[in-house]
Amino acid sequence: MSVLTSNRAHFFSTSRTHPGAWWLAGLALSLSASLSSNLVALIAISAGAMFIVRLCRDNAPWSRSIRFYLFLGAIVVLLRVIFRVIFNLADATQDVFLTLPSISIDLGIGNSLHLLGSVSFLSIQAALVDGFRLAAIILSIGMANSLANPRKLLRATPGALYEIATAVSIAINLAPQLIASLKQVRRARGLRGHSKGIKALTGIIIPVLEDTIEQSMQLAASMSARGFGRKGNRTHLQLLLTRVSTFLTLTLLTVGVAMLLFSPVQQHVDLMVILAGLVFSAITLKLSSTRTTRTKYIVQRWQLADLFIVISSALILLAAFSGVFSK
Amino acid sequence: MIEIKNLSFSYLNAEGKQKSENPQLNRVNLKIEAGEFVLVCGPTGSGKSTFLQTLNGLAPNFTGGVITGELLINGVDLLGAEPHEFSHLIGYVNQQPEGAFVADLVLDEIVYSAEQLAISKEQIAKDVQRLSRLLGLEDMLDSPLATLSGGQQQRVAIAAALIAGAKVLLLDEPTSALDLQGATEVLTLLQKLAKEEGVSILLAEHRISRVIGSVDSVIVVHGDGLVTKGKPAEQFNDTRFAPPIIELGQKLGWNPLPISTRQAEQLWERAPAAFEPKTINQPSGIVCEVIDLEVTFGLVSAVKKTNLRLFGNQITALMGENGSGKTSLCWAIQGSGTRTSGGVKTSAGDPKSLSVQERLAVTTMVPQRAADLLFLNSLADELHESDTFAKVPAGTTANLFQKLTGRIDTSIHPRDLSAGQQLSLVLALQLVKDAPVLILDEPTRGLDYAAKRALANQLDLLRDEKRSVLLATHDIEFVAMVADRVLVLKEGLIIQDSSPLEVLGHGSELASQVAEVTNEPGLITIGQILK
Repeated sequence: MSVLTSNRAHFFSTSRTHPGAWWLAGLALSLSASLSSNLVALIAISAGAMFIVRLCRDNAPWSRSIRFYLFLGAIVVLLRVIFRVIFNLADATQDVFLTLPSISIDLGIGNSLHLLGSVSFLSIQAALVDGFRLAAIILSIGMANSLANPRKLLRATPGALYEIATAVSIAINLAPQLIASLKQVRRARGLRGHSKGIKALTGIIIPVLEDTIEQSMQLAASMSARGFGRKGNRTHLQLLLTRVSTFLTLTLLTVGVAMLLFSPVQQHVDLMVILAGLVFSAITLKLSSTRTTRTKYIVQRWQLADLFIVISSALILLAAFSGVFSK
Repeated sequence: MIEIKNLSFSYLNAEGKQKSENPQLNRVNLKIEAGEFVLVCGPTGSGKSTFLQTLNGLAPNFTGGVITGELLINGVDLLGAEPHEFSHLIGYVNQQPEGAFVADLVLDEIVYSAEQLAISKEQIAKDVQRLSRLLGLEDMLDSPLATLSGGQQQRVAIAAALIAGAKVLLLDEPTSALDLQGATEVLTLLQKLAKEEGVSILLAEHRISRVIGSVDSVIVVHGDGLVTKGKPAEQFNDTRFAPPIIELGQKLGWNPLPISTRQAEQLWERAPAAFEPKTINQPSGIVCEVIDLEVTFGLVSAVKKTNLRLFGNQITALMGENGSGKTSLCWAIQGSGTRTSGGVKTSAGDPKSLSVQERLAVTTMVPQRAADLLFLNSLADELHESDTFAKVPAGTTANLFQKLTGRIDTSIHPRDLSAGQQLSLVLALQLVKDAPVLILDEPTRGLDYAAKRALANQLDLLRDEKRSVLLATHDIEFVAMVADRVLVLKEGLIIQDSSPLEVLGHGSELASQVAEVTNEPGLITIGQILK
């Protein structure tokens, strides 16, 4: 068993795979989850994401952030169910699962608000599906974040997206950094002890935030001292055009995908928006590649393992689109 | 190369106005030549870092503040420019390389700034080859940075700072987190860079004695805005930061002052002074007994099966290279750290099994990052909270703190205290708890000689109260000053447990400066020498 896992970890380990592959897989899984309304499928996606992290992660600081996402997912599921039980629209025709005393609050505008009461099987199930859908999306993104080395991802981004990618990768880096710092500060706080009346939270949050901000500033200073942010031989106008075009690309693509997911009625409009986004992305790439401002000394190549990751996650997404996970 | 004219720098106060009454740097004028090796020193908190950072735009761009004057680099005034406009001229290396790394692999890290500056691939390949040979990094280009030792990491940081063609190197205490071996490694390389490559080096460094023999000049940042540059021997009238050999020369009235160990040796040989034997205090009873203690993290064994007795009325130094298990052992003994097996016996039981409140009454500790223990908004609140927690009369902590640092305005935010003041504050908070065992992990990091002497006096007082102090440190001179007993840790095992005279004496690997210079058996620290 140990031989098997160590071999597998070698082939798919995050130190060898392309970080882009993990983000594509994470996005495919989260898209599949958002298209699904089957509880079993959603739980399978969540568990699958966790399992993949277990199998492929290296001993890197960001790989531990999956626990944070797991915690977040669990809270989302729990809240969904609790809210459904409290704001329960009792329906007499449904099978009753749990009977609680009903509370009515007169709102003074003719109708009253009913809380609690008898909870049906179906409403609990619907709440679970909603909760697990969100949890599966969170865990899929968490998987990508835990497995993709943010620094490698930054190296692999095309020049036009470089500045935005830097901001994003520093932001992504923040979660694991916060966790590491939290651990350290909590341990140190045990050495101080605190008397009653002092809020325990301030004692942890202040040093953790200070530490995290300081570290981010240090990284930013180091990047700047080493030439990051030079505009090279581009003119101010070129720089401005590139930035505007990058911004438009990202906005159009995000809005298009959101429309595709949340309002499937206007299918033509959302496809047009996505198309416009793609056109702008081509313009952005063209604009930024007219003059070299950066050298890529080492190019991260796509390996067989990356291809495998991308193809298998694409298959899952295809299955989701064809409606396999809906029933 | 670099010429500074009338350079002034001041931070802004809370209202966003310039603190003109006490600028960090006030009308500084100096020149640095090509290939010049300059040591930058000054007391704790005097603004050494700020001075270095003004030279490549990090101050004020990343620190805030106002800068005026002229900063000519190769004749071009770059005052106020962003740091990236300096990256082909000036390389910058700071205290903690791991916090400033932008990549994971050595090669990626080295080429980063060459990539940013769009230097051609062929040129980068040539420079990588040249620098990796020069800095001894050829065999580790494909290694992850995290697997390198501290000294190796700093060598990578130096290569990365020079790859874009910079001919000036700024280093802000590059060895403060390194053990003796790592520090020697880095300092030797710097000398080579200055001599063979013609790189101008500005080095802020607290291990002054290790480099002073090979620097061309010394810049002193005095802390009141004054910055002076001159020959090494002329610059050390201020004992707050004078290294041990200079302090020795001052004590014995040598003129001119020695700047290298060699010179000091000759001067001592000519006129050796009388000295008293080192006071080694007799230990009182056992305060704490470590039994079969082991600490493992995953597959890594940090502390191997260890047995150890700590006595009252004794200061025990715990020495050893980085990664030898000093910090893990400290946390395990204190009781809140990881333990794999074994235990610790004290009068109140094993600290691990006690509640936080009970544990702190037996074993207290000042960790490496002392500031993590501070969390309130003013010094007054911190002192008050400490009195309440320890159930001592109001003002007890404040009195102790004042004894360590002198009077300080208590409305100040604890984060605005200097490193030395923060350490004193945390020390006061921990001492008030009155625990019989006090553990200090690297307490002298970032302290100047004056602050170290104050700390040593405080530790002496504690010893007189029959407490047991365990001190994990790399600081040989400090150990020579205070310790009654020295433990040397290697790969998780205590390999030596003996008197400081033996461990720090002449000929030993960890010999103190005074032992090296005087070559007298039984003499390890300046305090022993009679005037």
